[in-house]
Amino acid sequence: MTDRALVATFGFDERRVLPALRLLAYDELVLLAGRNSTRADGYARLKALEPSLRTVLVDPFDLGDCLDRTASTLRDLAHANRSVRLSVTGGTKILGAAALLAAFQEGVEAWFCDPEPVRLPVLRGVRIVESVSPAARDLADSLRGPMPADRLLSRASGHGLSAREARAALGQLVAHGLAEEALDRGTVIVRPTTVLEAFRPHLSRHAARKA
Amino acid sequence: MYHSDHAKSRDARAKVLEFCRALGVTASGVELSDAFDLIEIATRIRADVRREKASGAAVRFNIAGGTRLMSSAALLVCILEGVPATYVHDETHKEIPLPLLRMTYGDHLTARQREVLAFLVENRERAYTETALAKALGVHKATMNHHLRELGAKGAIERVRDPDDARALQIRAAPGMELLLG
Repeated sequence: MTDRALVATFGFDERRVLPALRLLAYDELVLLAGRNSTRADGYARLKALEPSLRTVLVDPFDLGDCLDRTASTLRDLAHANRSVRLSVTGGTKILGAAALLAAFQEGVEAWFCDPEPVRLPVLRGVRIVESVSPAARDLADSLRGPMPADRLLSRASGHGLSAREARAALGQLVAHGLAEEALDRGTVIVRPTTVLEAFRPHLSRHAARKA
Repeated sequence: MYHSDHAKSRDARAKVLEFCRALGVTASGVELSDAFDLIEIATRIRADVRREKASGAAVRFNIAGGTRLMSSAALLVCILEGVPATYVHDETHKEIPLPLLRMTYGDHLTARQREVLAFLVENRERAYTETALAKALGVHKATMNHHLRELGAKGAIERVRDPDDARALQIRAAPGMELLLG
């Protein structure tokens, strides 16, 4: 039987985490917490209750750091064949929002237990990155700044995509708001958007793993 | 601007509206009757977002304010509708674009799985066992069992004990699945 891991965001008050511990069965408990949180009395009480708990340190006021560490924790547990659930009830609001976003990115069930359990609707195991085809991921990787569409498409052809596949991939990037096309003195220029820049590390990670 | 019916939240709305008026920015507030009902909030926000998009407006969402459930519902809608979302940091006031993309969850189910799930969503008030569900949808019991196992693995359905028969299990769509299908 697959071991069940519960990942929970934590601030200073163990009472924000306890309902999830009672309601969501687990074999392994992982806390996402700031360094200061691990010095809190609430953390000591939780550790006394669950001596085997593991803590992943995050900067609870840095959304990017919280997102990266939560996502990598969820991925590591999934690779270790754990059935993973995430409680986003404790900790700072930034940590909660980032953890929730990581849950959507990685296709992991997220729960609020405050104290009644509320499960966020998500299809388990379905990751956001899967809404972009591998061809579009490759094209996004090549798009590092404004460039003529012809040059971008010929680069894609160099990576083994047919012209038709490359055009479809570009269309998908535009449809997802990852790239913009504009006419400049008769030439179609493609630009990466801020959405692509924000999402690029996530896309690259999955492209690299695929390779 | 979405806010709860709490007095502090109403006060904050009044201040934000006044501030926007002073800047000449059009703003309006939407009071949510239950700021802790995730599905209701997400359904409301989604309807508003769809209306705005249909009118040609470019929509962006700041999810930093409100209760955790409100911002979670907003984040879910942003993913379902492909709306760019940002988080404005409380202290630095820095605008952080969130790395998310539009997700059509229905595309990750087979046509038959979608049909079964849609049926369960439409018939939430009725209880179905696996056998009754197979009969209602005109498929063999073994085929239905396969679809339900797949849906169960994705967390799209729940199996609960039949209160009238301890040996039987009732099948229900998991909460919020209507949002993922719609």
